Amino acid sequence: MKKIAIILLTIVLFGGWTQLLNAQYTFWEPEGESFAIEVSLENTDLMRLPIYRNAVQSLIVTGDHIVAGTTADEGLAPFVYVASISQREMISYSDLEETIPGQRSIQSDFCQGTDGTLYAGTIANKDNYGKRGAGHLIAVDVDRDGAIAIQDLGSPVPGEGIFALTCDAAGSTIFGISYPTGKFFTYDIASGEEEVFDDIVPTDSERRDFRHYVQTPDMYLSRALVENERGMIYGSSGLNNIFYFNPEEKSFTILDETLPEVWGRTSLGQVQAWATSEDGLLYGGNRGDGELFILNPETGSVKNLGKPVLMHQLRGLAFGRDGKLYGVAGGPPGYGHLFSYDEEKGFHIYGNPQFTMVAPGIEQGIDWRAFNMSRLASSPDGKYIVIGEDESLSQLLIFAVAE
Amino acid sequence: MQTKELALSLFPLFLIIVLAGSTANCQTAANIFDGATITEKNIDFIFYPGFPEQHSTWNSIGYSPTSNSVFMGVTDHVKTTALYEYLPESGDMINRGYIADLANLREFQWQGKVHSKFVEGPNGDVYFSTDGGVLRSVHFRDHPNGYRGGFFMKWDTEKEKLTNLGYGMEYDAIKDMDVDPETGVMYGISFPQVHFLVYDADKNDFRDLGRLGGGHVPRHNFTDWWGNVYYVDWRQRLVKYEKSTEELVFARESLPSFEGTPGKTIITGITAFAKDEENGVIYLITYGAKVLAFYPTEDGIGEVVDLGGVIDTGDDRPWAPYVPNMNVGDNGKLYYFVGGHRQYVIEDHTLLVEMDPATGERNILYKFHVSEMREATGSNTKDKDGNLYFAGRKLGQDAIDSDENVEVTESTPFMIKFNPGKEVR
Repeated sequence: MKKIAIILLTIVLFGGWTQLLNAQYTFWEPEGESFAIEVSLENTDLMRLPIYRNAVQSLIVTGDHIVAGTTADEGLAPFVYVASISQREMISYSDLEETIPGQRSIQSDFCQGTDGTLYAGTIANKDNYGKRGAGHLIAVDVDRDGAIAIQDLGSPVPGEGIFALTCDAAGSTIFGISYPTGKFFTYDIASGEEEVFDDIVPTDSERRDFRHYVQTPDMYLSRALVENERGMIYGSSGLNNIFYFNPEEKSFTILDETLPEVWGRTSLGQVQAWATSEDGLLYGGNRGDGELFILNPETGSVKNLGKPVLMHQLRGLAFGRDGKLYGVAGGPPGYGHLFSYDEEKGFHIYGNPQFTMVAPGIEQGIDWRAFNMSRLASSPDGKYIVIGEDESLSQLLIFAVAE
Repeated sequence: MQTKELALSLFPLFLIIVLAGSTANCQTAANIFDGATITEKNIDFIFYPGFPEQHSTWNSIGYSPTSNSVFMGVTDHVKTTALYEYLPESGDMINRGYIADLANLREFQWQGKVHSKFVEGPNGDVYFSTDGGVLRSVHFRDHPNGYRGGFFMKWDTEKEKLTNLGYGMEYDAIKDMDVDPETGVMYGISFPQVHFLVYDADKNDFRDLGRLGGGHVPRHNFTDWWGNVYYVDWRQRLVKYEKSTEELVFARESLPSFEGTPGKTIITGITAFAKDEENGVIYLITYGAKVLAFYPTEDGIGEVVDLGGVIDTGDDRPWAPYVPNMNVGDNGKLYYFVGGHRQYVIEDHTLLVEMDPATGERNILYKFHVSEMREATGSNTKDKDGNLYFAGRKLGQDAIDSDENVEVTESTPFMIKFNPGKEVR
């Protein structure tokens, strides 16, 4: 009897081991409705974006519409495009070159005004003398059928691009950070009046520090801004600092507590993404070492939740309808990984997710595996987590969140 | 020829395959055609001396006309790869040393294998690239115990010296590479991100032209006689790096495939190629088991002609046979081994097929049990005497009996030398 038990145990263990080995050649493929949308493809009659102009840097989901703003290689122009979740395809796009020539990037993220209009900022291409022109604030209207109308609202900070922005809850004011200097600005949507502040511009001493650590403005300016329930605007500044702007008093406050850091790496601090929980806590991602943290805006305390993966960067955060926080951790020169976080279970890391992409010509469906995920957003009902890629030919991945 | 007509013409062959399958378990190479001019003396298996831990070879074979020798990268499929050179005139197989030692690699720069072809560049130097290619590179990658990235390498055939020409992408392997014979500019394919890399080592000018693939990395790129380079995108469309413009040009249509070919097969692209420069054609085999004749043009993308399937499977899965190898003989016919990676037309057997592109006729020349030869890889490797070379491997009985992933079980690699026109042993 004992001998039989040993044999059975051996079979079970061996079977498990071989399954484990085979499992190592597989990748996480979500069940259910998850899928990829082919957005980019060269030389085709299909509605697709061309190579080197499609890296997703701004992403928002409004109803059935995924609205994305792209970044192009130097000298090329970006797009705003709309994809339909229900139709599982891109349904419209607009070449920014046709509205505002000379722009390279829409990377500020989108925010939404009172009437549903979306706002974003651009960064310009360099001219023939190597000087970068001014970026513009743009208003993006998407109608029910997905048609895009872009309006140029001018340059809120003369000679500067727009690196990050957010709107207030009322949808009446835009708050942003200029590029490459890092000036903070406000823009009143109704009147078009703007105001510029130098308070969080890196000091000469900080810039010297950045230079010695070979940190450029895209690495140290706050990549994301967020408004808390009391209407304060939060972001990162300087060497690992967190600031907030009080719109009524037009004042800036640097919190006593800083972004979570590895000692000696304060020069790497940058908030890359924010997400607000139902109880008003601000979840943030720090580029420096890829830490997820919670900022309690009432107390100013920062809780470091740790690093989901080894690599640095935390490039996107959004809550799903299951109450979990979803995000993208890691990035170039390594690989991005999709993760979720909840208070009870902590982190769950899905690795490089693989989704099925179906389109004319590939009706049987092909595997699309995501390595370089740049932005992440949830649908208003939290049913879908949408991920945008940052590739030469970038696609969208849509993860259906379980109920 | 229409697919249906081709299928009918090949039906007798299918019967032969079935009959051959019924006499399986032969222990030595055997010509299954009585009275044929090709006998077991037209093929030879040549083993690699001096590397006890050797496990396999993976497309890592190529011919150098200048030195009239064949190069192979042989791996233990863990972290050690040895460089071998075969001299056709003397018949010597020489172990040139371990690549890590020859290239002064540190332990953390371990390389799982060479997965690229060996190809001659300017001055008779032979170029290749290195690959992670083992379990920990697939999943650990940017972990400290993972893979740090592949290198471009150059072997000086005269001085017998290996030079490390530098990295491709950080953490990505270089699955395949080719070289411009005029300029020495190298063209690499990264794994797993499927980036197309252009590297001029003389100027240390490295360009990453971006991602071209989906969830799998097509294993081959290849050049034409003008120095243009070809690859495929996730729709299995040819992508050409045009030397004159230094830009990528995408074909509008996908390469031909059988109806019902799964998406996982489509994204794997081309598994083998063979050049017939005299006739201006490059033959291709896709992972979906199509044989194609590609007629490149200096500018733009040339014509592709569908020559049908690699073999008649006799079922509704014509796309299923696995053919990761091909050579073209001096007689203009194509030679390739069908089978491998648990994909066999006849269970546990590989078949050497002769295919005449002019007539579409296909003959099975040899049938091997996986204990004799499990699969062959390698493309476009022919010496000046018309000998064709493949990188073969066979499985031990324990691996045949096992349900384990065959990549982690024992196997024995060897070089295959074949000449349809004369005896080689």
